[in-house]
Amino acid sequence: MSWSASEIAALATKAARGAGAPAGQAARFGEAAAFCLMTGGAPAALEAALAAVPAGGPVLDLPAALDGIIARQGGELRSDAPAILIRAYVAVLPFAADATETGHGRWKIMVDLTRPSPRPTPRRISGCDGLIACMSELAARTFVPESEASRAAGAGAGLNDND
Amino acid sequence: MRDFPDIPQVPLRPPGKVMRLSRMGSMFPTRLSFLRTLIRRLSDEQARLTRPVWNICAQGFGHAVYSIDLGGHRYSLVAVSNDLPADARTDRVIATAWDTAYVLYDGVPDTAEIARICDAAPKQEAARFTERDLVLSRANKSVRLFGHVVDRLRSGKQPDEALVRNTGYLMRTTAVYGNGKFGIADRALYDERPGLDGPFMAEMLTVWMIRHFTHDLVEHIGGARLDRHLRRHLGIGNSTGLGMAPFLVNHPVLLNNWVMARETALARARAVTAPDTAVRDRLCDLARRAGRHLAEWQVPDAEHQGRIDRLQRDWQGRMAQILNLSQTADAPGEALVALCESGSEDLQELMAALVIEPFGDLVDGLSDCMSDPFGAMVVPFSGTAALRTAIDREFGWALGVDYAGRENCGQFWYVSAAKQEPRLGLRFEEQGAQKESPLDIARRISALRGDLETKDEPVSAFLGRHPEHALAALRVALGGRYPYAEIQDNLIAETCLPIDMLRCKLSFFGASKFDPKSDRWTRITLCQGAPLADELGPGADDWWLPVFAG
Repeated sequence: MSWSASEIAALATKAARGAGAPAGQAARFGEAAAFCLMTGGAPAALEAALAAVPAGGPVLDLPAALDGIIARQGGELRSDAPAILIRAYVAVLPFAADATETGHGRWKIMVDLTRPSPRPTPRRISGCDGLIACMSELAARTFVPESEASRAAGAGAGLNDND
Repeated sequence: MRDFPDIPQVPLRPPGKVMRLSRMGSMFPTRLSFLRTLIRRLSDEQARLTRPVWNICAQGFGHAVYSIDLGGHRYSLVAVSNDLPADARTDRVIATAWDTAYVLYDGVPDTAEIARICDAAPKQEAARFTERDLVLSRANKSVRLFGHVVDRLRSGKQPDEALVRNTGYLMRTTAVYGNGKFGIADRALYDERPGLDGPFMAEMLTVWMIRHFTHDLVEHIGGARLDRHLRRHLGIGNSTGLGMAPFLVNHPVLLNNWVMARETALARARAVTAPDTAVRDRLCDLARRAGRHLAEWQVPDAEHQGRIDRLQRDWQGRMAQILNLSQTADAPGEALVALCESGSEDLQELMAALVIEPFGDLVDGLSDCMSDPFGAMVVPFSGTAALRTAIDREFGWALGVDYAGRENCGQFWYVSAAKQEPRLGLRFEEQGAQKESPLDIARRISALRGDLETKDEPVSAFLGRHPEHALAALRVALGGRYPYAEIQDNLIAETCLPIDMLRCKLSFFGASKFDPKSDRWTRITLCQGAPLADELGPGADDWWLPVFAG
């Protein structure tokens, strides 16, 4: 089975929220996860990142660190996150940006605020069934079972619409 | 947004006026609505709709394929019609079977692909799709009208015109899925193609093609043609619930771009002085048409019908002035808007939509600015002092509210386990608030403001201590560049009516004849009065607030 990038981004966002990440960081993880999987995989890195939530890890740390660098129009990032994850977070920034590893968990991040980030062409995603299962389980933590109350309140149409 | 410096315009209406729920819930379609844009594009290209496959039995079951060329690409609608027991016919998104199912396909499907789609499409969310499938949809018959039309055609007669006028469609779609759902193509795969580059263009093309299938199907079963004016009036219904509402909150840049384009169009139309006689006559014609449309807009819900009736009285009560100002005012657009300023928001928004209509040459290009190709191009705040100042300057509407008070947090948004659809619960009566979806933007910004201390420090340091405020900090940053990005109301208040969000979004689609069934879902009509496939061409896009031509 193959997945669309949008499906993966949505699922990864919900999974991060289910793992305990705040909404803003979860959305950033969703975008980065889709990019990761479109460009070579790293399901293990994504699963590990989710496992570190809510105590810490790249899902919580990378967005604020990168935003600070954008605000300074570039700078150094210190992170022990996997390289593929850092590159993905940088690639999905709204501005054109580039990440160069300088060693020992240090990265040089260059940002061009005058240019939008080039849009990646979506590719089908497959071969990550374990990660999908993990993310689906985490995402399910954000779902609320439907109740009689919600149905009575008119969440949808009637049960029969033969008109 | 693109710049159009040469076109005069008056100041835009401020976001604090436009982006209120009650006004959003009063919006009408305009010539910038997506269906209108699509029809103009199809007309410009003289697009030809063909039906290479018609494998439908005498009872109306089977499949058909329609194809059309747009922007150098060929797209095909695969339509599948099944025999649905009456007790399985429901408009709810949790339904599992439908009268008809559809896929908009990229290209022309071969026999194997048609077979795949015929197997998968009727299962909808329970099936998986491919990147050749651009849009997935389904529709149920309006049993009363569909059966009546079949019976009449079989007996050699045309259907009752009043029934056609009052129902307005043969089938209702209950979902039109795009952008990667259930494995269909990501929107980014085709959103730079001419014709599909605007928002929801693939979905609008699908809906317009489905409409033709419903006409062909009823004529096939009935064994005779419908009169053209009846086909023209038969659009495609849609039943829309809460699933659509969070989209506006989750896509703030897109919402900004839609509203910015519409408000810019209005500002340009208001700035026009000394228009020629043709424009003045057009304003008069449109005003009369709007009056007729309101008279034909009949809904079962007494409260909403009362609202329509009030609007109709307000409109007709001003008709003499509208006609006079249209013919005599130096700046008729400005004068007409001013005339309605003291009236209801329904009246104001109807007039706003009318005033835009005659000025296609000034405003139609704005449709190119309604997508969001780049995402949120904002630089995050570096320091908390600047963040605090921005909140105080632009988000006063979110502050000063006691969000712990029952009336201000009585509802919560969540995603249902059943079909993973957005829902709205009652916080103090239902379980699940701990899993609340982050649509409480006003409360979040207020909480962020409350935790910002007077000292200035890097935002990254502040978010390190308060990671829960990252979303709110982003929304504040957006506010500086995208003034119409936020709905300036408390979306978890007891008074929040999701129907207002639905109407806003649907008006941008081009929907008319809103028929609310509760404050959480509505039926609408799409494509009513729109040109049929053989009517595309110059001047075809004249169907704002359609009226029955019987």
